[in-house]
Amino acid sequence: MLSPDRLALPDYEYLAQRHVLTYMEDAVCQLLENKEDISQYGVARFFTEYFNSVCQGTHILFREFSFIQATPHNRASFLRAFWKCFRTVGKNGDLLTMREYHCLLQLLCPDFPLELTQKAARIVLMDDAMDCLMSFSDFLLAFQIQFYYSEFLESVAAIYQDLLAGKNPNTVIVPTSSSGQHRQRPPLGEASVLEGVEASLFSQCLENLCDRHKYSCPPPALVKEVLSNVQRLTFYGFLVALSKHHGINQALGALPDKGDLMHDPAMDEELERLVVRSRLHRTSWQHRAEEPRAFGFQRRDKLEARESVPSASAPSPCPYRWEPRE
Amino acid sequence: MIPGKYRSVSGRAANNVNCGLHLVIQTSSLPEKSKVRFKQVEFKLNKETPSFSGRLLQHDLERNYSSRQGDHIHLASSSMPSFPILQRSSEEKILYSDRLTLERQKLTVCPIIDGEEHLRLLNFQHNFITRIQNISNLQRLIFLDLYDNQIEEISGLSTLRSLRVLLLGKNRIKQISNLENLKSLDVLDLHGNQITKIENVSHLCDLRVLNLARNLLSHVDNLNGLDSLTELNLRHNQITFVRDVDNLPCLQRLFLSFNNISTFESVCCLADSSSLSDITFDGNPIAQESWYKHTILQNMMQLRQLDMKRVTEEERRMASVVAKKEEEKKRESHKQSLLKEKKRLTINNVARKWDLQQHRIPNIAPNQDRKVSDSSQDPSQLHGSTVSAFPEETGSLDSGLTNDLQGLSVTDTHLVEVDGDTLSLYGSGALESLDRNWSVQTAGMVTTVSFTFIEFDEIVQVLPKLKIKFPNSLHLKFKETNLVMLQQFNALAQLRRVDQLTIDPQGNPVVNFTLWKYYVLFRLSHFSMQKINGTEVTQNDMIMAERLFGILAHVASSELPQYRMISILGDARKKQFRYLLETKGKKPGLVNEENNDSKRLVGENTNRAMLNYTTRDFYNERLEEIKEKKKFCKMYMEDLVKEATEINMKNEALQKLWPQMFIELVRDAVIEIRNKNSYMKLCLQQITDQN
Repeated sequence: MLSPDRLALPDYEYLAQRHVLTYMEDAVCQLLENKEDISQYGVARFFTEYFNSVCQGTHILFREFSFIQATPHNRASFLRAFWKCFRTVGKNGDLLTMREYHCLLQLLCPDFPLELTQKAARIVLMDDAMDCLMSFSDFLLAFQIQFYYSEFLESVAAIYQDLLAGKNPNTVIVPTSSSGQHRQRPPLGEASVLEGVEASLFSQCLENLCDRHKYSCPPPALVKEVLSNVQRLTFYGFLVALSKHHGINQALGALPDKGDLMHDPAMDEELERLVVRSRLHRTSWQHRAEEPRAFGFQRRDKLEARESVPSASAPSPCPYRWEPRE
Repeated sequence: MIPGKYRSVSGRAANNVNCGLHLVIQTSSLPEKSKVRFKQVEFKLNKETPSFSGRLLQHDLERNYSSRQGDHIHLASSSMPSFPILQRSSEEKILYSDRLTLERQKLTVCPIIDGEEHLRLLNFQHNFITRIQNISNLQRLIFLDLYDNQIEEISGLSTLRSLRVLLLGKNRIKQISNLENLKSLDVLDLHGNQITKIENVSHLCDLRVLNLARNLLSHVDNLNGLDSLTELNLRHNQITFVRDVDNLPCLQRLFLSFNNISTFESVCCLADSSSLSDITFDGNPIAQESWYKHTILQNMMQLRQLDMKRVTEEERRMASVVAKKEEEKKRESHKQSLLKEKKRLTINNVARKWDLQQHRIPNIAPNQDRKVSDSSQDPSQLHGSTVSAFPEETGSLDSGLTNDLQGLSVTDTHLVEVDGDTLSLYGSGALESLDRNWSVQTAGMVTTVSFTFIEFDEIVQVLPKLKIKFPNSLHLKFKETNLVMLQQFNALAQLRRVDQLTIDPQGNPVVNFTLWKYYVLFRLSHFSMQKINGTEVTQNDMIMAERLFGILAHVASSELPQYRMISILGDARKKQFRYLLETKGKKPGLVNEENNDSKRLVGENTNRAMLNYTTRDFYNERLEEIKEKKKFCKMYMEDLVKEATEINMKNEALQKLWPQMFIELVRDAVIEIRNKNSYMKLCLQQITDQN
């Protein structure tokens, strides 16, 4: 805990790096808002609960977007919460439009901006036909990249545009807030026979970017890895590769691996209990409404359809207990 | 009735005159040699074929004519080659001085009748005469019968000023003409001809019977001047409408059988004729109608016989009852259509306003606001009433309706309608109507509430009012209400109970989502809804809904920290309370009910209660409010941090300096104690200094 390099940082920098102040401010703010309720059971308990929830990643539920976006930890928690709550949608196999995913996002964060969802959708659909249906896993992975690294991606977009335009890649690029993805991409015909930019050149620029800027960016080694596999690549091709790269996913630490995206045995168990309870509730109501149904038959049916819980893949009671990472 | 003077046409016979215009001519028996039987002749004027079987007057003219000439009638050829000259024997002349029958004589022309200036009755029936001629000298003629000839034109009658009965049936007459001098005409029979219109009869003010049956009449008018007309026979024509009958002051009998009359309007002048007592319409299309009898009876109260049947009191009563009912029905339906039209116009107006609000159509200034309103008129906000022009698509209305509607100015910007069990609200202004004092009965009957052209966010705010005022509303319908997010359905959870939900795809983009129904079922599971958009909710649907979103509820309830849960619930309760306070007349009973409701809600499914919907405006409002607090918090934290870092710095500084300080302390102490004596003195000095 008391590592020497931690003590080496000056005070403010240390605090800023851990975003301690953000949480403290937010905690005090929440305290002020709910004075009457919290005073009932004590401030100390409030703070305990608050920071517990921060650790568990539940503090971002139903909060406003500005808070969710504030720290990388928040973003990752939000991604995880979204995955947890709506994994069942993906498991059901439904393909949804961008708007519907946005709706689901809004269930957790009422003022989530549409642009972010749109950008994420663009990654999945390669900037084509924005009304297309997307699968849950595709969208989630793309959304993860877009949301967690949004500033980074903006800079990358700017770099890409410059490279396309043939500018000198080594000049310092200061990304403006509205640049990047809002700029019109040059029509494909003009990009001559070869699409996109050269991978190596691109990779070099990105390295410089990662070194220069403080905000979170994917581990440079992995980025290099992504870029080393191809000769040339387009912007969205790059993003898609990023999103599908399992190393980056793991580095982020918010979501399980792509293959395991649909698995969450703990939640599945809980869900079964809920379903049974709801059915009992409804059946008892229907008995009152004199409408008999063969729920016994269906129950058996449901049991058969239930997936077997892989006990082997659950080494710890909570295999996906989330831990904060940088 | 035949006037008196006519009665004594034949001096010796007593005419039996019936009231029904049966001209009966009797003569005394004739001498043997003529071998003519005298029969009672009934001369009916109101049938197609007047059976003037004038056998009585059948002298052996025929015999005489064919065989011998000169006994009684002598038809000698005259100087004019075509016209035979008729002469009777003086015996005959004396016996029948005033009548002459030339029936079935195969005459092709009218013969010249010599020396018979006193003739009163002339009978040319059943011949082949083509023109009326050579009778101008018979100026005493009263009765002229030319039935069943081939006459094509009425002519040659201009001198017969005393003529009373003119029978021209079954000829080939094409038009009524040349009757100017026959001012005393009493009976005019023109049946079985080819007459197409009634004309040139206006001067016949003594005419009592006019028979125009079996002609080619298509309409009836030009009847003025016939001041004595009692009977008018128009059977078997092609008449489609009748006019001017009310100008006939004495008309009692009118026979219109077998024509082409189909509506009462075409014979409406009959209603104004007070003298009519007998009428026939059989064989007309109108007689087939269901309303025929009572319409005729209702409009012609003076009738005694219809279609040759007496009109009973019962029938008359029935007719008036039915007519009254029909009148009322018509009035009702008129009122209804008026109302409907007004409603339609209002809804059109509301729709247009809505479209404007949604920026769907550009704001075309001239067509829209007529009222000169305030300067701040955002196209997205149209408040107040606007007088709009009639929409182009008025559709076809009958003239009466449009006249009434022109009085209406469509000033309404919203519409509230209660139709039995449905309460329909159009336009956001309609939401205010929920404040009205609804009668308990009306409100209790309402089971369906329909919202159209209203923003869902506005509806959310009045849902508590709806819950109280219309407790039995079980079915909610939304159309053009801008439902875009699944989250908005959370707001419906505060209602008492919803059995059915209908979200019209028009104007509600949320319906395009694949999962919207499941979300509704999930979030509103405590309602146990029966139907969504008309389709029944099955057990499988509910399970699927639970499967899809169950974890969301679980997360919302179990993983939220306590204070968050309380704050969210508290927020919801506070909001509802605020709406309640805004309603007029805060009743304490209501407040209790509200608490009970929320308690029940919390008991039922706490996990879902976390999922609330705050309208965008409220949300932003709240965020604004929090900004102040956030600023304060930031400053406060900064102060704390500053303090902490200062202390930290001091601590660190102390850490650094402490070794040095410690050494100095020790060194000072050691130096002090090196000389025992001087140290003792120093200590004592210090003690005395203290005192």
